[in-house]
Amino acid sequence: MKKIILFSLMAVLTFTQCTPKLADATAKADDQKTQVDKKAEDMADKAADKTAEVAQDFRSKVPAPGPAPKIQLGSYDNFKLSNGLEVIVVENHKLPRVSFQLFVDAPSISEGEHTGYIDIAGDLMSKGTTTRKKSQIDEEVDFIGATLVTDADGIYAESLTKHTDKLVELMADVLLNPSFPEAEFDKIKKQTLSGLAQEKEDPSAISRNVTRVLRYGKDHPYGQIATEATIGAVTLDKCKEYYNTYFKPNISYLVVVGDITADQARPMIENYLGKWKSSNDIPKPTFETPQMPEKTSVDFVDKSGAVQSVIAITYPLSLKPGETDVIPASVLNTMLGGYFQSRLNQNLRETHGYTYGARSSLRSDRNVGFFSAGASVRNEVTDSSLVQFMKEFNKVRDEIVGPKELELVKNSMSGQFARSLERPQTVARFALNTFRYKLPKDYYATYLEKLSKVNAADVMAMAKKYVRPDRAHIVVVGNKDDVVEKIGQFSADKKVNFYDPYGNKVELKEQSLPAGLTADKVIASYIQAIGGMDKVKEVKSMSMTMEAEFQGMKLVNELHQQEPNKYSMSLSMMGSVMQKEVTNGEKGMKAGQAGTGAVEGEELNEMKERALIFPELTYAEKGYKLALKGIEPVDGKDAYKVNIESPSGKKSTDFFDAESGLKIKSMEEIDMGGQKAYQTAEIQDYKEIDGVKVPHTMVISGGGLPMALTMKITDIKVNNTIDPAIFKVE
Amino acid sequence: MKPRILLLAFLLLGLTAAQAQMNKVNYTEYTMDNGLHVILHQDNSTPIVAVTVMYHVGSKNEKPNRTGFAHFFEHLLFEGSENIARGEFDDYISNAGGMNNANTTYDRTFYYEVLPSNQLATGLWLESERMLHAKVEQVGIETQRQVVKEERRQRIDNRPYGSVLEESMKRAFTKHPYHWSVIGSMDHLDAAQEEDYVNFYKDFYVPNNAVLSIAGDIKIDEAKAMIDQYFKDIPKGTKPIYRPNIVEPPLAAEVRDTVYDNIQLPAVVQTYRIPAQGTDDYYAVDMLSTLLSQGQSSRLYRALVDEQQTALFVGNFPLALEDPGASIAFGIANMGVSLENVESAMDTEVDRVKNELISEREFQKLRNQIENDFVTSNSTIAGIAESLANYHMYYGDANLINAEIDRYMKVTREDIMNAAKKYFHKDNRVVLYYLPKPTDP
Repeated sequence: MKKIILFSLMAVLTFTQCTPKLADATAKADDQKTQVDKKAEDMADKAADKTAEVAQDFRSKVPAPGPAPKIQLGSYDNFKLSNGLEVIVVENHKLPRVSFQLFVDAPSISEGEHTGYIDIAGDLMSKGTTTRKKSQIDEEVDFIGATLVTDADGIYAESLTKHTDKLVELMADVLLNPSFPEAEFDKIKKQTLSGLAQEKEDPSAISRNVTRVLRYGKDHPYGQIATEATIGAVTLDKCKEYYNTYFKPNISYLVVVGDITADQARPMIENYLGKWKSSNDIPKPTFETPQMPEKTSVDFVDKSGAVQSVIAITYPLSLKPGETDVIPASVLNTMLGGYFQSRLNQNLRETHGYTYGARSSLRSDRNVGFFSAGASVRNEVTDSSLVQFMKEFNKVRDEIVGPKELELVKNSMSGQFARSLERPQTVARFALNTFRYKLPKDYYATYLEKLSKVNAADVMAMAKKYVRPDRAHIVVVGNKDDVVEKIGQFSADKKVNFYDPYGNKVELKEQSLPAGLTADKVIASYIQAIGGMDKVKEVKSMSMTMEAEFQGMKLVNELHQQEPNKYSMSLSMMGSVMQKEVTNGEKGMKAGQAGTGAVEGEELNEMKERALIFPELTYAEKGYKLALKGIEPVDGKDAYKVNIESPSGKKSTDFFDAESGLKIKSMEEIDMGGQKAYQTAEIQDYKEIDGVKVPHTMVISGGGLPMALTMKITDIKVNNTIDPAIFKVE
Repeated sequence: MKPRILLLAFLLLGLTAAQAQMNKVNYTEYTMDNGLHVILHQDNSTPIVAVTVMYHVGSKNEKPNRTGFAHFFEHLLFEGSENIARGEFDDYISNAGGMNNANTTYDRTFYYEVLPSNQLATGLWLESERMLHAKVEQVGIETQRQVVKEERRQRIDNRPYGSVLEESMKRAFTKHPYHWSVIGSMDHLDAAQEEDYVNFYKDFYVPNNAVLSIAGDIKIDEAKAMIDQYFKDIPKGTKPIYRPNIVEPPLAAEVRDTVYDNIQLPAVVQTYRIPAQGTDDYYAVDMLSTLLSQGQSSRLYRALVDEQQTALFVGNFPLALEDPGASIAFGIANMGVSLENVESAMDTEVDRVKNELISEREFQKLRNQIENDFVTSNSTIAGIAESLANYHMYYGDANLINAEIDRYMKVTREDIMNAAKKYFHKDNRVVLYYLPKPTDP
């Protein structure tokens, strides 16, 4: 609710985000009660002198409100150009400025294998016209201190009143004569691709994508998501085709807000946009309406290394704007999970401390609406959180809401409505919705009246209709090992479905291990696979250089191992060493961002262990605990999964190709500032060096890395003589 | 999805330092006997009212061993009061159909509520409770300590480039309290004792250190009567209010350093020391920043992002501060571009301003942009209430909400060139290279 703003570059941005405060996340409700009565620690007692002489009666309770003010909805004018463009004008002369929103009400269309091209087309429109280069557009917009942006839905432009004519001229040029320059197209595509690369590592983005695919299905436009492949397939022609087909006046609205009258706006708009040609063959594709699933499923996406599970409980529903149910259903949703004091947030955050915030949405839409409730929760409370979600869903369905709570919800909603009217844009939005959804003329004017009439029975009826824990997708993105066993109970058939990050179903084969197979045998066949015990034992030293590209920079990792206990590793970026670790077998040191220092004790022992080229050879003698955990697919191959715990308690998991015996993946638990995280290495490209197979490529991910890092060996020497200076500890 | 859009938002939103208004804002102001300054702006067009209180205390008023205290205190002052039980502050607001918010800067702390206008008394009651006898229990202190730690993680440690301001300011200043961040040290918060809370409240949360600024659907006389009822009896503070009088010596030589952060693309950050807000030179520096950064035709954006494509984002942001502060230039390198390359391109653009007088047309563009920002800045009653409080608190002249634009319009092309020469030079700056944090491969 209240946000604390730091004065920083990002401060003003965060100001607008309404993330709930974390307050009280750890305090239990009961504790609060006992503490409220306890005044011993009370600071105010110490400052009692301030209060002494003040007569207090009126201070003891909240003042009664004055008579309710009359909420006046601003009015609008509208007219239609001969080409079919509907113009809505909302006058507001408080400030000398005007804004124009051109909204192209195009139907939803299937983008299929080119998903993402509509957004790129919209972005491109302001990047050049037949008579202006991008730089000219930029200069002319800035010269009048204006804003002009384009997207797939149209154009938004605003400026001071005195620059209106120039602004509309620029807007019309961008709208009617875009040139779709190739170079700008390439730039936007590149930026979109790097955006997607970042999302890959983000569990919330994965949840958003998978949720959409499951809720609507891939055949419906709402269920289509952009991937690297689909963006790669976007062509300039596709973008032009979209513009040429759908940017037409007879399906568009121009919403004008501010210091202007309809009489002033009309000739100007006629002049600049009158020549915009309408079209009679705008396709109106239809799609099968997505339905709620027959029964509740648990749909899981594995994000190894995740420390939180992202939960979304969701399904499509049929609720169109303007239907009678919309307002009572929104009261229901606000109460359940739509504001800070909502039941879900109070339960999961304030009472149980499972999350920073839990919320729900219930949206109407002219094609298909949806319900969604969710939270990000610690791994270990994933199942407990689902229990609480279900409890709140059932409670809202089965128990009638009390008058006090209903009043709080409705007061909060009417206040929000009243406050929103301060902005003339709100009036404009209401007008646009009234047109688009063919709402009754007084739909918004009577909103507060309709809201005040919603009663407890209505809320319950809405809950029974729209809160359907029995017909939901429970989408969980999280760490499979920590989470998946405990959540099957929430699906109707007690099973968990697995999906990849793009919502494609993944078949997990339930495979039983070959009889008699043990972890030791898996390790033994690995040694055999890389060259056999004799050859492997002969390797006493190794030096290698690995390189990776990281956002255009070259990362170089240099590693030297001399058995039994000499080791040196350095990591440099753009030529300068960022991290270094060395031990000469007696002493150790490391240097990095935290400074340079000696390494001692357990940490030194661990460092010496890293001198071992094939640590597997010493597992038995050193007392490592190994456990064979089963068969799991790695990159489409079946692999044996072995959990390994060192004598000092360090945990890792290795995966061995069932067919070749080679180690193909390794996950190591690391400590990131007190939080557990996993770093994963995919081990590939084995090549033989002096009779021993050494992997030449490692793809590292997780553990705080923003994106996967592909390290490739550029130089390797086995059984070489290593200059002793390399292991020197200063 | 596309970082540049997000960053553009930083740029646009970061530039709201200066505020003014072309349509005249009328207001009434007076000071009560206890020192509380009251400003009232009547606008009956929408039946809502913004009730705001600005306290003239920010992180620069903190003791060096209690940094972060002003901001921590802001959290505590939502805990409750003699008459408001813990956690009920928000319920009163929601029940009244309102919203509330607060923020802390280097120089001041600001609380506000926006309510339906018939709930004005509720807003006044809540703010008077906070000023008269706020109450903080041990459980609240412990909880808020955790909350602030999470806030630090979320805003600074865990947000890409979130530490830019902190890392820059601690090198650009060594004596003045601007060298520590608003969120401050978590160790200092842990070390805080009961007497620290009591003293901070007594020292700074007094009517003579506050401005009550109200805007919206009010009647001036009725509002005055209600304000009298709730605030008249709040006793004046008895102690002098600590305002640091510390003059930061010049940097003397360029400071360069490297910071490793959880980021994907490296960035260069140049922090130039600049004069205090409200000075003639500040206005010239602010227009210089507009020239360099505002809009896609700005000097830095066009050269680095559009033409050379060396940067994904670039901008320069002056901090409007009560004491001499800093302007921070920030460039994120495109994939495969070295920071040296980005930095030298940024320097080239600054040098151009020093060596060539800007054209009349570009100068006119700047003035148009400044004018547009002024008109746009006070479009909500909450924004007007805050601006009025700001102008009174920092300059003793609330009318600057109407007149500050004149100060900008006095700036000449030569002034902008001179500001670049005087402040944007090597010996007056800190340069940081932000690099991605390495992880053990």
